[in-house]
Amino acid sequence: METPALFGYHGCYLRIDASDGRVDRIPIPETVLRQFVGGSGLGAWLLLEEGDPAADALAPAAPLVFAFSPLVGSPLTTSAKFAVVSKSPLTNRINDSLASSGFAIAGKRCGCDAIVILGRAAGPSVMIIDDGCVSLETAEALRGASCPITEETLKGRLGADYQIASIGPAGEHAVRYATISHGGRHAGRGGSGAVLGSKNVKAIAVRGTQRCEWAHPRELTAYSRGLSKRSFGPATAKYRELGTAANLLTFNRLGALPTRNFQSGTFDDAASISPEEIRTTHSRTRASCVACTIGCEHIYGLGDERGVRLEYESLFALGSLCGISDPNTVLRASRLCDDLGIDTISAGGTIAFAMECVQRGWLDEPWLTFGSSDALLRAIELVGRREGVGDLLAEGSRRAAETIGHESIAFAPQVKGLEIPGYEPRALQTMALGFAVGARGADHNRSGAYEVDFSEKVDRRHATLDAVRHAIETEDKAALMDSLIICKFLRGVFEDFFAESADMLQRVTGWDATADELRHTARRIVGIKRRFNLMAGWTRDEDTLPARFLDTPLPNDPNATISRRQLDALVAEYHRQRGW
Amino acid sequence: MKSGMHVELLGLPRERAGVADLDVEADTLGQLLAALAIRFPSFGDMIAADRLKPSFTANLNGERFISDPATGLKPSDSVLILSADAGG
Repeated sequence: METPALFGYHGCYLRIDASDGRVDRIPIPETVLRQFVGGSGLGAWLLLEEGDPAADALAPAAPLVFAFSPLVGSPLTTSAKFAVVSKSPLTNRINDSLASSGFAIAGKRCGCDAIVILGRAAGPSVMIIDDGCVSLETAEALRGASCPITEETLKGRLGADYQIASIGPAGEHAVRYATISHGGRHAGRGGSGAVLGSKNVKAIAVRGTQRCEWAHPRELTAYSRGLSKRSFGPATAKYRELGTAANLLTFNRLGALPTRNFQSGTFDDAASISPEEIRTTHSRTRASCVACTIGCEHIYGLGDERGVRLEYESLFALGSLCGISDPNTVLRASRLCDDLGIDTISAGGTIAFAMECVQRGWLDEPWLTFGSSDALLRAIELVGRREGVGDLLAEGSRRAAETIGHESIAFAPQVKGLEIPGYEPRALQTMALGFAVGARGADHNRSGAYEVDFSEKVDRRHATLDAVRHAIETEDKAALMDSLIICKFLRGVFEDFFAESADMLQRVTGWDATADELRHTARRIVGIKRRFNLMAGWTRDEDTLPARFLDTPLPNDPNATISRRQLDALVAEYHRQRGW
Repeated sequence: MKSGMHVELLGLPRERAGVADLDVEADTLGQLLAALAIRFPSFGDMIAADRLKPSFTANLNGERFISDPATGLKPSDSVLILSADAGG
């Protein structure tokens, strides 16, 4: 039997022109694979190879990259993931969003390590990639269809062995925070759905038969068994037993739960939308991604056949952030976002911002008030179809603030245009730094600095320069996790993450990877994202927080204050330690 | 003289205990955790002797996080026991 040139990789990517369906198979040098691994790292490298960072994110020439990883298809738990990388139409900076699960396996079996889509189809299309052969079919009949209907329809027509990634109406209407959906999960942040929509691609269907071989299959299987066993332990129990939504009451108790567009860190009605309460009145089932042993998904019933996958970020964004205390509304709003293909964090953030503008008399939409269930659901519908005020809100809070004027930009809850996740920056100040310097904007997935705030390493309400090295460490870990790709919910099971990552890579690829090498790799990946941003026009002034968070204490906690000078010093130290 | 202080359980600890809060007599964090381990056998995978295992953490009065079993506690204190992992 012939020895493959590479283990764990195919050593090439597909470049597909959506204008005519032309496909090229482009080799990727092994040195590049070793330097950037896969997922976010490889995607960022391909983005720079294939596109101009200064170009419009929604231009036909702007690349959209689906990047797989060497671990995809292996027996390693949680490894069935893919990264979607592009320039963000929301931030005009790099965007990398991750999702699970079957699409990653089927996409890689098309015989490639990534798929790069360029161009623009003449009309709404479905891109079908069958073992590496590409065809475009009309999607006219799917125009306006929700993500689940699109997927179900295509699976019914093409066959269940196809895996589908699709956009909903929001992606078709270039909502700047539209998602790409797959199996109810979303490459959620930064508007990759709008980028796919700009190419007139409603959905991508993949299937394939080409498997990679592993360098040391027996050792890989043994290691994978051990990792799976550890994944059943206490480090993942929170996700398994309660899901991420369990954060809600904890954050509320610590005064770190963003409420009414960050006007408070506590929500009086938090208990009513907590998972502890919702499960007493709604049915609940658990689910997991393909090839995952954690099973973090908690799906709540809404009295019909379809459940709602509820995560903390959706719960805070569509709950406390908008002042919503009715659990049914939060569940319905979350489902609506999933159907339309909208990022729940940016939707909640932008709508909450608009609610505050209405409260201040700066936006003439009197129905759009904090706490109104009807208003939230109506606003999401309008955003998804860019109707009425939804056309403005589909632009995200930063652009909406520029239109609304007054001093509203001071409390538009965003960094670089990306709406802030559910971590109050004044109460979690290492996270505040992570938000400020994030390559794709305010982001809890590329910086896990909140972990540091939940420890004795720092005083979460009085960050000092010592917090910087901790923030960098979590960012580096995330960069490697997002490139390998494995689930961040596993991070607690690793004693030495970089050493174990080297073990995994050795078994899959045969490389003599070491922990030190992978620390450098992580920094290289963070660096290439910065390089893209620099070429796209990044300036240091972007690494900050909105004025609301600076020099003004959190109303419910006078000790939670971060001054502009303090944040500037943290950011400067961050740049210094990064060597920038 | 031991004193009763307020203990708040959040997330998984609350799930395991079946109660949201309780009063416990203890002068130190170590004593408090040992008392909780006896009262709630379901805390077996959370507490080793007088320390929380790495997946869990303790917070004093909603302000600072603590782990040293010798950390002194006052009757007016409120101790939060929660998951260390805040990822969402």
